[in-house]
Amino acid sequence: MDLTQTFATVFSDFADPKKRIFVGYLALSMMIACLWLFFVKRRSLRETFARVFDRKVFFSKSALADYQIFVINRAFTLFVSPLLITQVAIATAIYFALHKQSFISSGVFADANKALVVALFSVTLFAMDDLTKYFLHRWMHKWPPLWSIHKVHHSAEALTPITVYRVHPFEGVLYGLRSAFAQGLVLPVFIFAFGNTVDLYTVVGVNVLVFVFHVTGSNLRHSHINISYWPWLERVLISPAQHQLHHSTAERHFDKNFGAALAIWDWLFGSLHLSEQEEELTFGLPSEEASATNLLDMYLRPFSDTWRYVKRRTKKLINLIREPQKKPE
Amino acid sequence: MFKTTLKLTTALAFCVVAGAVTAETYGPYPITVKGYEGDKANSVSYSGQIARHALHDSLKKAAGKGDGGANAAEVEAMLLAFFNGSDADLDIMAPASKDGYPVKQATVNAISKGKNISGKFYDGAMPAWPGDVTGKEAVLHMIKHTAQSNGGFDAENGMDWGQLISKYTMGAMMYNQAVDNYLDEKLEADNKPNNKPYKDGAYYTGKEHSWDEAFGYWGGPAHTLSLSPEQAYGIAKQKDLAAADSNGDGVVDLKSEHVFGPAYYAAGADKGGTKTTNYMHTIMQAFVDGRKLITSANGEALTDAQRAELKGYAATIESEWEKVLAEATFKYAGSVYKDISKMGSLEGEELAKAYRNYAKHWGELKGFAMALQTGKNNLGKTAVDLNRLIGYGPVTLDNTYVTGVDADGNFLRDRRMTWSDYQLNMLNVQQVLVDTFGIESRANDALADLEGLAGKLNSEASAETD
Repeated sequence: MDLTQTFATVFSDFADPKKRIFVGYLALSMMIACLWLFFVKRRSLRETFARVFDRKVFFSKSALADYQIFVINRAFTLFVSPLLITQVAIATAIYFALHKQSFISSGVFADANKALVVALFSVTLFAMDDLTKYFLHRWMHKWPPLWSIHKVHHSAEALTPITVYRVHPFEGVLYGLRSAFAQGLVLPVFIFAFGNTVDLYTVVGVNVLVFVFHVTGSNLRHSHINISYWPWLERVLISPAQHQLHHSTAERHFDKNFGAALAIWDWLFGSLHLSEQEEELTFGLPSEEASATNLLDMYLRPFSDTWRYVKRRTKKLINLIREPQKKPE
Repeated sequence: MFKTTLKLTTALAFCVVAGAVTAETYGPYPITVKGYEGDKANSVSYSGQIARHALHDSLKKAAGKGDGGANAAEVEAMLLAFFNGSDADLDIMAPASKDGYPVKQATVNAISKGKNISGKFYDGAMPAWPGDVTGKEAVLHMIKHTAQSNGGFDAENGMDWGQLISKYTMGAMMYNQAVDNYLDEKLEADNKPNNKPYKDGAYYTGKEHSWDEAFGYWGGPAHTLSLSPEQAYGIAKQKDLAAADSNGDGVVDLKSEHVFGPAYYAAGADKGGTKTTNYMHTIMQAFVDGRKLITSANGEALTDAQRAELKGYAATIESEWEKVLAEATFKYAGSVYKDISKMGSLEGEELAKAYRNYAKHWGELKGFAMALQTGKNNLGKTAVDLNRLIGYGPVTLDNTYVTGVDADGNFLRDRRMTWSDYQLNMLNVQQVLVDTFGIESRANDALADLEGLAGKLNSEASAETD
């Protein structure tokens, strides 16, 4: 592969409308940010532009680290993704297993209204994808070995659309598997029940709901433009301000708003926090927990953290076996 | 610029036309046998095989003549006449002349005299059929039941006799004779050598005729290479006279212009499914190349190098032909799967009609699965897997299925299976065929909907984290 090809492969996501950082979505997000600041926040035109294209954000050391991680992770993904289990493998196994059930037979609803089936499938797939994101994200915050991986993302001190790529490669793998699992579960059930009536409503090749999520400013979630929604809407959809609050260094914001697009999961499972407009949020983690800029530290810290965690737990286990009468702390 | 384009287009058009005109045909090839003094100028001869194709097509047609028992003796005699051959000159029941598709020969003897199916029928072990039978015993058992059936259909056991016999014969006679006889031992140096006539006084050499006979069983017309799969399909269905009538005499000469069974299924696989295969032309080209090689030896014994090259063509023919049979098996496993889904929501007359279709597709599935087991290779575990999954009979309307035969050869149905379980078997049949034969056309892929939609989802797209 020559240099131009490598370059094109690494940056292909910017040209792919299936990806959040597609230039079109980025442009729309910028426009939304400007409109928000100018019309809602009543900033002057000059202030608006100065805020949206803030050099201090986009050229901060944290953001520069984002850009480097973006490139490094692309190389890793190209190498690793073919090794992962695909949704087709999972879907096929489930599809075969469904035939062994006696309560439902294949194609039992094949005559159902096509539009309805396609709508139901598109919504179910989107919801399932979002729900599994919620649970994985929540787990990454709650279980120390996963938190050691997820910290890479939370160590960002400035949020830019590229921050979505600022993750440890292992996190990318976990999200990929999650996606395969979510699709692998929904697909065979629908095909089994509805046969070839099933289809997906797509725009530019993506689920129409994902498309809506992107054109309405999904990129602003990782930005310094704190767009909030009406409180009732923030219980249904996560606003950019709500996700920024998830990145906040304030203790009362810890472990809130795990949701990706939908807020209902947070609402349902008690982790919802509506946005706050009063104060400017600060992002990042204490330096003893994670470095915002040292790449080597970011990539390797999860190993040492996890090793310490395993050692700690083993010690506890050994103590428990040696002195069973003594209650573990 | 315009001029250049024009020139280019003209040149291109000329190439296309020239290509069509010069597409190779199977023959005529010159006489090369030493010492022949007759007046023949073309050494190609495979009319015996074409006569057998006509016997086979007619046998299939005759399978539908039973009226439920009253005329059983008469029908059985007719079936056996086509199977065993007859002293009388049999009328060809199929392919017979029809409006828009006049056929040159009306009787079997008009093609070739004294031919039969039975003498060329695979007679090794046939574990796919109940009763511990040989290949020939299996087809004779089918013929006996056919004669007693109503229109070739046995609703109780789910058997479509015409389909079963026909598809099985495409393996047991045509495929077996070609790949396990003419393209196998007859390619050895001391068997039908090229420096001697095939038999005393023949106008063709041993190797020339062996190769021609294999070609005859394949069933493609001499001008196959100039046909698209769609045209070949249309010819077999007797709908495309223009494509069939290569010499333009207004009638179809079965000996060189019609498309028979195996070639028809190769065309079917190429024109259906994923449209990524080229079985028909690949097999045909290998036959043409092999025959040209033999001709080029000019009546001398083939050298080891020449025979090695010839065996290479034979190997291509064999493996592609096997794939064609596997593709057909795959396709009908998919049909059976779909039929079961369809029957689930039907009742009364409509259900009976759908069940009839289901039995037809099952007959084709079973016949082709049996055909696969008549080749040069012992399929071993694959055969056992296919036979178990497909069974001796389809799941019938009361969920019973044929589990064997009694001492008199009557079918027993003493077990039941759910429709869903049988559908799962069909999924597994398709899986086994893909895994074993690497087939690519995959018409009626029961997983196509699933895989198609999965492809649309693109799992990477939502691998985004947050």
